[in-house]
Parts: sequence; C-alpha cells; structure tokens
Amino acid sequence: MRSAVTLTVAFLLLILQSTVLEIAPMHMVAPSLGLLVVMHVGLSSKWTVSSAAVVSFVTGYLFDLVSGAPQGVHAFVFVIMSLCARALATRVAVQGIVLGAAAAFVTSLISAALVVIVRAQVAPEGGYGGLRQAPVEALLTGICGPFVLGLFRRIDGKVDNARSRVGLARGPRPLGDPAPWK
Amino acid sequence: MVASKRLREAAVVAGTLLAAIVALRLSARNPGELSTLDRGILRLVSPAQAAMSIIARAITGVAGRYVELTHVRAENDTLVRENSKLRTELIEMRRLAEESGRYQRLLGLRDVTPAETIAARVIAVDASPYFRVARVEIDRGDGMVRRGMPVLTPEGVVGRINRVSGKSSDVMLLVDPRSAIDVLIPRTGGRGILRGKSGENGYRCSIEYLARGEPAREGDAVVTSGLGGSFPRNLAIGHITHIFPGAVGLYQDVEVTPDVDFARLADVLVIVAPPPAADPDPGSHHLPARGLTVYR
Repeated sequence: MRSAVTLTVAFLLLILQSTVLEIAPMHMVAPSLGLLVVMHVGLSSKWTVSSAAVVSFVTGYLFDLVSGAPQGVHAFVFVIMSLCARALATRVAVQGIVLGAAAAFVTSLISAALVVIVRAQVAPEGGYGGLRQAPVEALLTGICGPFVLGLFRRIDGKVDNARSRVGLARGPRPLGDPAPWK
Repeated sequence: MVASKRLREAAVVAGTLLAAIVALRLSARNPGELSTLDRGILRLVSPAQAAMSIIARAITGVAGRYVELTHVRAENDTLVRENSKLRTELIEMRRLAEESGRYQRLLGLRDVTPAETIAARVIAVDASPYFRVARVEIDRGDGMVRRGMPVLTPEGVVGRINRVSGKSSDVMLLVDPRSAIDVLIPRTGGRGILRGKSGENGYRCSIEYLARGEPAREGDAVVTSGLGGSFPRNLAIGHITHIFPGAVGLYQDVEVTPDVDFARLADVLVIVAPPPAADPDPGSHHLPARGLTVYR
C-alpha cells in the first residue's frame, strides 16, 4: 500500500519535473524530484532496504522513460543512491530543514556524477561532460528537499494510521508477548 | 530467521541492480527501442505531460497578468478597471498574434521545405540536464514518425527523433552530447561534425574535425551539409560564437550557439519523408540539391 502510494506520488513528481521548466524562471535545470523520493525511502527507517531498492528502481526507470534517457541509467543510479542513503541513515539522523536540504544537495551532486559516469558507459560519444550544471541542480534539489521529504513523511504517517486502525501498525506480535487486551 | 531475512533483502537488492544493468545493456545495444511495457507507460505519461504543460502555461499567463494588475492598481483605482480590461485584451491579442505568427512561420517553413512534414507540439523539455531531449506530441500521423527523422522550427534545426511511442516522440536536441550532425560553414565552405556540448550553462555545440586552416570567424553562419544521410542541405543551425585559441593539433576548437531557443520550444515540424534525391542539374532550379537520404 505504502509503496503504491509513494510510486503514484513519485510519478506525479516526475511529470511535474519534466514540465516545471514551463513555469520556472530558470531554464536548463530543474530540481531532481525523483531523487528526493529515493532519498526518502533510503533514509526512512520505515522502509526495508529491499522495498527501498525496488521503489528506487521503478522511480528511476520511470524517470528514464520520462526524460528520454537510455533505459536503466537512472534506474541503476537511483538504486545505488537508495543504498547510499540507507548507509547515511545508519550514521546520521537526517532530520530538520537544514539537514534535509544539505543531504538533498550532497545526494544530488553524487547522483549527477554517477549519471554522467553511467551515461559515458552506455553512450560513449556523450563523454564525461555535464557536471557544470550539477551544482545548480543540487541547489534546487536542496531547496525542494525539505518540502518533498516532509510530504513523504506525512504520506507515510497517513498510511501508518490506516494500518494502525486495523491493528497492523506494529507488525506481528512476538511469541510469548501478552496481547494488549490481557 | 534473521539471517534468512537478511539474505532475502540482499537478494532483492541484487535483483534490482541486476535488472537495471540488464536494462542498461539492452538500451546500449538497441538505442531507441522500446518494449511493450515501456510503450504502455509512455502512453500514460504523455497525456499527463500534455495536461501539465497546458496547466503550466495557463498559470504563467495568469501570474503575468496578476503582476501587471497590481502595478496598475497603485496608480489609480478608477482607471485600473478599464486599464486592466484593455491590458488583458491586449495581452490576449498579442498572445493570439504571436501564436498566429508562429503558425504562419511554421507554415512558411513547411512550404519551403522540399519534403513531407508534419507539425508537432512540444509537451516537455529537458527533464534531465544530462540528456537534452524534448518530447513532442503529434495529433495526426500515427506510424509516420520514425527514429532519425529531422525536426525543425522556422529558426533552424532542433534535432532528430530518438524514440517513438504512439503519438508522442522523443527528440534528441542538437545540443545533446550524443547528437552528431554534418555541418558546413557557407562563407568558407569548411565542413565538420556538430556535436552538443554537455555541461554548459547554456545551449551550445561545438564543431569537431574543422581543419585548422579553415578561416572561420566568430559570427559565421553554420548550416547542415546534407551529408550523413539524415538532414537536408542548407538548414540553419546557428552561428559561431567563439573560436578557442591555442589549441594544438589538426583541428580547430569552435563553439556554435544554435539559432533555436530551446528554452522556448513550442511547435516544431518533423520531416517525415526524405527530400528528393540529388538533382543532376542543380543550376536549373532555385532549390539546393539534396543528398541521398535514408532513415534508419
């Protein structure tokens, strides 16, 4: 349920990202909203590593289709980034606006470098160029980061509430643990 | 129990990575090929992008009008109503005139292009800064558009079709680093390969393999040479904006700024049929001779 909702919102964000240049005053670069979805599933302890990887793969694959990139480029990079985000989450608690923005900024820079490296393997004629725009893209992603991450935290919370109403919020009860009504 | 769960997690992660690598290899082997699933997804995506594009343009128009209205209101409350009404009408008329002019220019281009063309509307540009791709939607002409077909505006060459999915197609812009077009500098007759420059904070290209002895100057026009089998001859590309001094080797390092403003792409023409074969007697016609063109 949570994965389906997250992927639906991710799909809408990717559509927004592909048309945001129509309304935005800046040209050439848009914030990487898909990457923020990946960051959220990677950083959140509510997501298992495997489900985060699957959601990241699907988001990346969708982004490849939406952006016209060769299939698999963003799918591969987003899976890697979700694993990096999980590794970061085990060491630093990424909470609050400043840390969220900083994490989004750094993640966007790393992701840009990875995209360029993978692109050079798939389409060698493109070379390794393209990183000059990475800081601007990272800055925009950093600005959008706290808002998008907050949105996904709310979505997770809503889904959790729905689960708790039917008694599934805490998962299966361990053996030997007395039932709460006893 | 815990070990098996970890094993399962690791297997899923490895599976997703493997799936991504397989997708990468497939797209590297057959660029532009789409699976049935991909086509299905794109059929969902394209209408959503088109709707979002219309909404975005409407928002921009409303926001622009709001800014103007607030500015006028400060001057005089009585005049504002009349003024704003006239301004709104003027903006609307200007928009209509601009739109009409755009279509007329497009029709003019269609008349002078000696090949069959169809019009397309741009619904998305540059979702990723590392792949300069625009998505266009064609209302009619299903099945006519194929990979490699040139895309133009009245200002010049936009790029070529890279992927086709139903009514929508991806256009690899000429500023994409994967794009390569054989070009000519008419003033000197020098030839080279135009390639997109990635990583620039602007839409720019460079000419590769332009011989060092070519007396190219800043401001020189650059057009398609007609060689290479994709683009008709003499289509405007852009102008030379910089020649980098001090480069060593056999070739010059030349920067070209395209004539097309890619940030404001709205309507384009796709050449869906190759132009006529090379004219054996080019002197008897006004139109330039065309090279052999085969779309792959």
